Amino acid sequence: MNDVVTLAQVLLGLAGVLAFVRAVLGPNLVDRIVALDLVLLLLAGGLAAHSARAGSELFFGAAIVVALVAFAGTVIVARFIEWRDT
Amino acid sequence: MSALQLIGSGLLLVGVFLSVLAPLGLLDFPTSLARMHAATKMTSLGLALIALGAGVAAESAGLFGIGVLVAVFLFLTAPISGHMLGRASYHAGQAPDLVHDDLATVRPDSPANTTRPVGRPSVLRMIPLVLIWVLLWRDAGAGVWLVGVFVAALIEWTRRQRRTSARINLRGSLIFLGRYAWTVILSTARVAWEVITPRNDQIREAIVAVPMRSNLMPAALLVANAISYTPGSLTVELTEDPLILYVHVLHFESVAAVREEVAELERLVVGALGEEQPV
Repeated sequence: MNDVVTLAQVLLGLAGVLAFVRAVLGPNLVDRIVALDLVLLLLAGGLAAHSARAGSELFFGAAIVVALVAFAGTVIVARFIEWRDT
Repeated sequence: MSALQLIGSGLLLVGVFLSVLAPLGLLDFPTSLARMHAATKMTSLGLALIALGAGVAAESAGLFGIGVLVAVFLFLTAPISGHMLGRASYHAGQAPDLVHDDLATVRPDSPANTTRPVGRPSVLRMIPLVLIWVLLWRDAGAGVWLVGVFVAALIEWTRRQRRTSARINLRGSLIFLGRYAWTVILSTARVAWEVITPRNDQIREAIVAVPMRSNLMPAALLVANAISYTPGSLTVELTEDPLILYVHVLHFESVAAVREEVAELERLVVGALGEEQPV
C-alpha cells in the first residue's frame, strides 16, 4: 500500500514539473494560469493520496484547501484578464 | 493487502495515470483553448479517482465520504474555471485558429444587469446542507446537528433567491446522472487518446452558438456544466434573455451536429429538473 502511494506521489510530482514547463514556456498569460492551476491540483492529488498512507483525514483537509485556492485564484485571474483587456 | 486496499490502489493509480496525462496534453496541444480541454477534463476525473481511491484504500467510511465530497467539488468547479479562462482567453484575442465562430458578432452584456423575481426560502432545501455539514464533522451528535441546521438556515435565508419552478424528478435525475457519468468517462478517454497519439491533425476548433429551448436558469447551468464534460467541447459564454450557450469544440464537423448534441443533453436535464412555464 505504502509503495503504491509513493509511486503515485512520484508520478504526480513529475507531472507537476511538466506542467511547470508549460507555465514557463507560456506563450501567453492564460497558458501560464492553466499550467499553474494544474500544478496546484496535482499537489492536492498528492496530499489526498497521502491520507491513504496516514489513514487520517488531515491531509484530505489540506487537499481541499489547496484545490479551493487553485479554483479561487484561477477565477480571479480570469476576471482580471477580461477586465484588463476591455 | 486486503481486497479493499487492492481496489483502492487500482482507483488511485488510474487517477494518477489520468492526472499525468494532463500536463502532457498541456505540452502537446497546439492552442490555448485546446490545452484547456486537457487540463479541465483530465484533472476532474483523475483527482476524483485519487480521492475516492485513497478513501477506499484507507478502509475508512468517513474518509470515503469526504472523498465523495471532494469529487463533487471538483466536478462543480473545474468547468467553471475552464469556462472563465476560456472566456478570458477568447476576449483577449488568443483564439485565432477557429474554423467557425458564432461569438465574433456578439457583444455579451453583463449578466448582473438582469433582475429576476425573488423566491421564498425553503426548509426542504436545507436538508442537503445539513447532511453535508454533519458529514464534514463526521460526528452525528446533537450539537453538530443543531449547529448544522443553524448554518443551513443562515445560508438559505441570506442568499439571493431566484424563483424557479424546478421540480426535481427522481427518475429523470437518475437517467441524467448515469448519462453524465458515462459522458465524463468517454470525454476523458477521448482527450487521453488525443494526448497519447502524437499527431494533432484531427483538431479543428470552432465556437458555435446554441440557443436553449428551456428558459430555466438552473437547467442552463447544468447543461453548461455537462457540456464541459462532453467529448471535445467547453462552454465559453452564456447570454441571458434569450439563453444562448456558446460552445467551443475541438473536432468541428458542422453547426447542426453540435446543436443536436447539446439539445440531447438539454432534454435529459429538463427530464431531471422539469421545464419552467413561460411567464
